[in-house]
Amino acid sequence: MSKIHFYDRRFGYLFVSPAVIILSIVILAPITIAIITSFYDYTLINRTLDSFIGLRNYFESVSNEKFIHSAIVTIVFVILVVLFEFIIGFLIAILLNQVERFRNIYYFILLIPLLINPIVVGLIWRMFLHPQLGILNYLISLVGIDPINWLGDPQNAFITIIFVDIWHQVSFMIILLLAGLASIPEEPYEAARVDGANAFQQFRDITLPYMRPVIIITLLIRLIFALKTYDLIYIMTKGGPGDATDLISYYIYRSAFIGLDLGQAASMSVILLLIVCVIIYPLFKFMNRADE
Amino acid sequence: MNSKHIQLIGVTKNFGKNTVVNNISFEIADNEFFVLLGPSGCGKSTTLRMIAGLEDISEGKIISNGVDITEEDPKDRNMAFVFQNYALYPHMDVRKNLSYSLKLRKVEKSKINQKIEWVSNLLKINELLDRKPSQLSGGQRQRVALGRSLVREPNAFLLDEPLSNLDAQLRVEMRQELTLLQKDLSKTFIYVTHDQVEAMTMASRICIMNHGEVLQIGKPQEVYDKPNSIFVAKFLANPVNNILKSKIIKKDDSLWIESLNIFINNQNLNNLSEIYFSIRPENLKLNNHDQPYNFEVKIIQIENHGHELLISAQLEFDKQIIYFRTTKDKYFMIGEKIKLYFHIKDLLFFDMITERIIT
Repeated sequence: MSKIHFYDRRFGYLFVSPAVIILSIVILAPITIAIITSFYDYTLINRTLDSFIGLRNYFESVSNEKFIHSAIVTIVFVILVVLFEFIIGFLIAILLNQVERFRNIYYFILLIPLLINPIVVGLIWRMFLHPQLGILNYLISLVGIDPINWLGDPQNAFITIIFVDIWHQVSFMIILLLAGLASIPEEPYEAARVDGANAFQQFRDITLPYMRPVIIITLLIRLIFALKTYDLIYIMTKGGPGDATDLISYYIYRSAFIGLDLGQAASMSVILLLIVCVIIYPLFKFMNRADE
Repeated sequence: MNSKHIQLIGVTKNFGKNTVVNNISFEIADNEFFVLLGPSGCGKSTTLRMIAGLEDISEGKIISNGVDITEEDPKDRNMAFVFQNYALYPHMDVRKNLSYSLKLRKVEKSKINQKIEWVSNLLKINELLDRKPSQLSGGQRQRVALGRSLVREPNAFLLDEPLSNLDAQLRVEMRQELTLLQKDLSKTFIYVTHDQVEAMTMASRICIMNHGEVLQIGKPQEVYDKPNSIFVAKFLANPVNNILKSKIIKKDDSLWIESLNIFINNQNLNNLSEIYFSIRPENLKLNNHDQPYNFEVKIIQIENHGHELLISAQLEFDKQIIYFRTTKDKYFMIGEKIKLYFHIKDLLFFDMITERIIT
């Protein structure tokens, strides 16, 4: 390597260093601290890293029934939410992809839920769903249905939370999938029409193969975010009634700031991180295969 | 002449307020190699796509073998379409690309394999069957696209500028192969191109279009020798045609073409005072023996094309530029004055306003 190359390279490092430093401080440092904390008996009452306890926090976490329960609730929640958002989102994206007129207006309307802060979404829906004052119960009373306790009954609350999350996040799917659909060239469809493929065959043999990378990315991002769902629960149910909607992020939050056991909460966070890694790994592999 | 295969009757295509194809009608015979030729945006591709059923028809009718197919689905027209950028299915290997239409038609597996073997032998793509389109060169993709249209054994092949993405040498090879293929299959080919060399070399008949209208239809040599308008005369030229302007003045029984300073006899020009005229560069010869119809020019540029010289010269009278071709063993100097002559049959006249030929 010549002198100038080395010189250039050093300059390169110099230019990226601000980004690297900031990212280290903002992302790497907290993660490292969390991992370190998870090995200590660190509580908000005893805020010193003086009692190293090895993996005890982890053992306690995985043998904690409430933690296991919230992990299961979270997995059911994530699967249902992502599945429905994907199916509904893909259907709407396909329909919108055919539309020429007022396309931008539809885009804008779709974007509105995404632009609303999750806290606000929670508040809006809490008002809509209020058992006595909510508009939803009023509307169903018009067709003669008895008021429903949307958030007060354990089963209802879980379904209601899923519904609100779909309402909030489905646009995300639509927009990403729509972008993918719009990038498929027209010619393969025309070739398929001449070859005699009907609408379903065109979808199966052209749309789906073309969309595979987009679908995987979309699912991946939504999965990761759904696993971290917190704000909606905080505003709408506080994990209740009972522990019906006690998603893992919310349980960790409670352990940390209500239970005050930060070491324990940190170990749970690390476990959540591992769960996320296990789930997204196969998708990543699948995506790389699609790129080939 | 063979029986009629495909007829277009008053076919019009509007995109919003734009009329891209305006009330065109023609007939294509069975087993004909019919070329739609024109500059980009002339409506030739749209016409082809309407024949294929990929584009709705705003007005008019398309008849195939006596049946009105205007409203029919592309797949029911028994025509194959070859796209300019091949439009192969990128996620299927070559074998699947070839067999897709047959699978959709639920053809037996053994029959499909037979067809694929036949096509891949014919087009020499046996080696490529297990590859994806992205692993193929442009020429190979072209062959696969062609193969995909062949396996269905359609009545007509519609080809939309199929050679325009290939390099020059490959284009010459594929031109010959396609011509042979069409003879072998004896099927109707409708071929869209903007390349007049392709049209001249491959077509049994050429249809020249511009601004969504048909200007002239005829055998290549006919259209070349007797273009019916200035546009056709200019477009069918390799590399250039001479289109010049001149005043004409009646003197006694004959007409004086001012720019060339020659006298001719032509009753049809009697009432005109100015015309366009054309003489192809290859029809201008060096005047060694004092032929009639000769005129003087001054050489201003000499282009050596290897096998011949293309020389641009100025008319003595009004300095208009005229091109002529000559063998490379001649020597000329820039600024040299020489005399050229032509046969009167090669001199064509066009109306100044309509730009149509005057016969």
